[in-house]
Amino acid sequence: MIEFFLDGVPMQAEEGQTVIQAARANGVDIPHFCWHPELSVPGNCRICMVEIEHDGTDPWFDISCNMPVTAGLKVLLNSELAKKIRKDTMAFITLNHPVDCGICNKSGECTLQDYHYEHNGAASLSRDPKTHATKFFPLSDRIMLDNERCIMCTLCVRFTHEVSKSHALGAVNRGDHTLIRPAEDANFNADQYSDNVIDLCPVGALLSRDLLDHSRVWYLQPTASVCPGCERGCSIDIWHRKHEWKLTALDPRMNASIDRVTPRENPAVNGLWVCNKARDLAHLFERPRAEQAMQRGAAVELSEGIAAAARLIATSRNPVALVSSWGSNEELAAFHAAFAQRLRAFVKVDHTPQPGEVLEDHLLIKPDKNPNRRGALALFPALPDDVAQALTPDTDLVLVWGEGFDGALIPDGARVIRLDAFAHDQNAGADVFIPVSLQTERSGHYTNFDGVVTAFSACFPLKPSIAHAESVFASIIAALWLTADAASVQLT
Amino acid sequence: MKHLIPEFERWKLRYPAGFEASLTIPCLRRIQEDRGYIADSDITELVEYLGISRIQVDEAIAFYTQFTRQPLGRHHMQVCHNVSCSLRGAEGLIAHLGARLGISPGQTTPDGRFTLTTVECLASCGTAPMMMVGDAYHENLTPASVDALLEELAR
Amino acid sequence: MSDTVLTTAPLSGTKFFMNFPITATSHSLADYKARGGYQALEKALREMQPAEVTKEVSAAGLLGHGGAAFPAGRKWGVVKLGDGEPHYVCMNADEGEPGTFKDRWLLEHVPHLCLEGLIIGSYALQGRHAFIYIRGEFDLSHRRMADAIEEAYDAGLLGENILGTGYSCDVVLYRGAGSYVCGEASAMLASLEGKKGWPRNRPPRLTVKGLYQKPTVVNNVETLANVPVIISRGAVEFKKVGTPKSPGTQMISISGHIARPGVYEVEYGYPWQKFIYDDCGGMQGGATLKCIIPGGVSTKLLSAKEMEPLTLDHNSALAGGSQLGSGGMIVIADGTCMVRLAQVIQRFYHHESCGQCTPCREGMGWMERILNRIVAGGGRPEDIDRLYQISTANDGTTICSLGDSAGYACSAILDHYREEFEYFITHKRSMYDGRLVVDDPFSGTLATTGARA
Repeated sequence: MIEFFLDGVPMQAEEGQTVIQAARANGVDIPHFCWHPELSVPGNCRICMVEIEHDGTDPWFDISCNMPVTAGLKVLLNSELAKKIRKDTMAFITLNHPVDCGICNKSGECTLQDYHYEHNGAASLSRDPKTHATKFFPLSDRIMLDNERCIMCTLCVRFTHEVSKSHALGAVNRGDHTLIRPAEDANFNADQYSDNVIDLCPVGALLSRDLLDHSRVWYLQPTASVCPGCERGCSIDIWHRKHEWKLTALDPRMNASIDRVTPRENPAVNGLWVCNKARDLAHLFERPRAEQAMQRGAAVELSEGIAAAARLIATSRNPVALVSSWGSNEELAAFHAAFAQRLRAFVKVDHTPQPGEVLEDHLLIKPDKNPNRRGALALFPALPDDVAQALTPDTDLVLVWGEGFDGALIPDGARVIRLDAFAHDQNAGADVFIPVSLQTERSGHYTNFDGVVTAFSACFPLKPSIAHAESVFASIIAALWLTADAASVQLT
Repeated sequence: MKHLIPEFERWKLRYPAGFEASLTIPCLRRIQEDRGYIADSDITELVEYLGISRIQVDEAIAFYTQFTRQPLGRHHMQVCHNVSCSLRGAEGLIAHLGARLGISPGQTTPDGRFTLTTVECLASCGTAPMMMVGDAYHENLTPASVDALLEELAR
Repeated sequence: MSDTVLTTAPLSGTKFFMNFPITATSHSLADYKARGGYQALEKALREMQPAEVTKEVSAAGLLGHGGAAFPAGRKWGVVKLGDGEPHYVCMNADEGEPGTFKDRWLLEHVPHLCLEGLIIGSYALQGRHAFIYIRGEFDLSHRRMADAIEEAYDAGLLGENILGTGYSCDVVLYRGAGSYVCGEASAMLASLEGKKGWPRNRPPRLTVKGLYQKPTVVNNVETLANVPVIISRGAVEFKKVGTPKSPGTQMISISGHIARPGVYEVEYGYPWQKFIYDDCGGMQGGATLKCIIPGGVSTKLLSAKEMEPLTLDHNSALAGGSQLGSGGMIVIADGTCMVRLAQVIQRFYHHESCGQCTPCREGMGWMERILNRIVAGGGRPEDIDRLYQISTANDGTTICSLGDSAGYACSAILDHYREEFEYFITHKRSMYDGRLVVDDPFSGTLATTGARA
């Protein structure tokens, strides 16, 4: 360890650390735009400049992102000179930056705004018109680029070269005519991680086209969750309206919708990034929901449906259950406790890869497009490819939990209980259909391909007509106890 | 640009192993020399030949002033307007050329013969004012020598 | 028409380079050998170890001739011999500093001398490949150097087993494509890697991680041209020329309002006044001297009075408040509008800024816009302070020295000629009718007064 000083305070640094890294490790965040702990150091924004106290008379100042810590180094972050340099740098950065805050999506979480107030706060020194550049450049189908707001930090460019490896972005032209542009043959659309540049961008230059002008960020709050898009189960934040900002005059569904998804740092699973599928979770989650229990398509009360399901299970001789690979560990444990002795259970695949969907890559994407098949397989065997081996002709009851199972594979004559969150045509054909909750409506855990267990929390309320699968299983068991003598019900 | 590949292969022999990307700029120059400008197909083929990323080529073409994606006039008149040339009459030279050709810097004559651009120092300060036409330097220019040159180029 | 030969008037003092008559063949290998060429290379390869070559260059006190005057031997000494890494020497022939055209002279007239220096340097640093980065616009220089390289290969002076000594070296002649900032060493290497010319931050130094992250030495053409001179004569003899702190000679490029512009070779320590008035014929058209930009546009100007007591060497220029830089001297006569001059200079820096770092990217354009507005008659009193502020905010805060240089150039003009700017702002016109010329060759055809191109 090397000792150095930051504004007179002694600190320890590791060999090879730069001043900005060592400061951060010691809890001091030196202002930065272009520096990122996981990307190469371009040292172009110049905002991280620090002064070095030394014996000579010439002032010594330099960027801290590229300055190795040496023993006894005396770094001054808040000397008059350091503060002046930061103020001047902010004046340059904001010189031609359009004052779009009133209409810019980044407002409220914009590093430029924050640093301007913190390190400069003065009106512009320029009396000349600001330079202009393209304002709505479609960087891809998903991302809009505003070149006027861009401060040329090149985080987006470096991300595509060093992390996603699509090499899709670069900087063309020279001087203050430089523009971020996609490579002309590259389909930035093909970069599965493109939307990470939206988070990386310290200003409002890169914005999601889907979410453009969707909501002010200060109306939203994040809830920790797990992306169910594949077996990696990246840690994410699901953003939704804060309770105190709930809308009363507009569509109430806006109060319970996914306003955006961002990655949540998890060194064991996804690091700092997520793929675009996580960004699009609203499309996955906000498909039409099943909200009504049914018996053969006729609407019934939830309790009635559960009771009917219990009767079907009680009277079956050869029941088979197809377990959801989207179930949480808690739901799976409850299912196991309730039915392991009673039903032959197999883990089914709820989601298969869509045509054109990337199967696997060098970064995050895994081929199994379900979040908890591993958790399920820890308890139950997999459904064989030849389904008929599990659903033998003498099967008289099939309990299908989750979506993605074609009813045509069910043997004729077998009764069907379906539990699903989403409205599908085949729900009406089931003998009993029970609508169940999504992960956003409850808390729980998934186990990913690597055995890492991650947690998700509820962020939306549950409609009264929908049940949590866990409680459905418990209710069914309770009903079975009541309908059968105690001896025939095995407690597990 | 594929017909230029044998030439590029000979150039490669002088470079150390692993320096393929370095050939980007010399190849672009040769392509432009051959065609008069760099076409989209040239870029695609070059990217494939060198095995580099497309964006590297896009950036290089946009960064360097000598590369062009559009055809220019047959004679590219590049007049230096930097300090020493300005001290020796570059502004008058540019005005003179503009008047003779009927175009402003940045434009091409309607018949496609002449493109006029202003450029920065060409290291000809001692023989100012001057200009570069294509690859050739024309120095110590006077109205007479300019007019004679224009006449010769117009033929 | 384009093979213009730059001639100079005779000038007292030792000459290392401008010591033979320029003819149609004087740049050829045969003529160069007849003048004693490549004997230094033979001596180095046959009689000296690589480290000894570096030692000799250090002992000679050779300073870089690209503008920074950094001791060449010290730069070479950073490269670790025997580390198993490829080492590269790169000749910086991207001469783009306004006012400087001496490298062009060397490349066109003594390409073999430059090449010999490069090969010796490569030998000293155990390089297998050496590079010459020549600016894209230098067509004649490129052809001459390309021919020289082929002649050298044919004569066994390049390639495998040079002169049977066991040392092998290949030279790549690389043409730039139009960018002043590629004269900055790290931008040059980025360009050599086939990319846009964006300079890099240090650390790491290029001598540690340079071309493709390997130890690389970048030297100016003239610096390398001095190497055969040092090896032939020896360090001791070399140091007898010039001054103790600036040994050797400097190729001065002089232009602007001077009677005999051109390239001259002076011994360091030569009296400045004598040079201007005797050797270069004094002022054009009998004008009086206003000021001189001594070492290329990126150095601070000196008024006639400030220049008077100085000699042509680095220490004297520094003591006088400026730098000798690359010796690109621009002479400016009384009656020249310094506001318009500043405008031309800032237009250049704005055009050449690479755009990477904040102060330069934003500052260069800002300065040009302010100067354009002043020249157009829209100047404001606070503009002068603003120009100073932008200059200061670019001093030492940028990735490369393009930003610093623009600041020095502008602030030096303001320091000396503030009243011209104040006049322009107050009266909405130039004190000198916007004049930049003394004798305008084009004044007969079309008058240009106060207009900008």
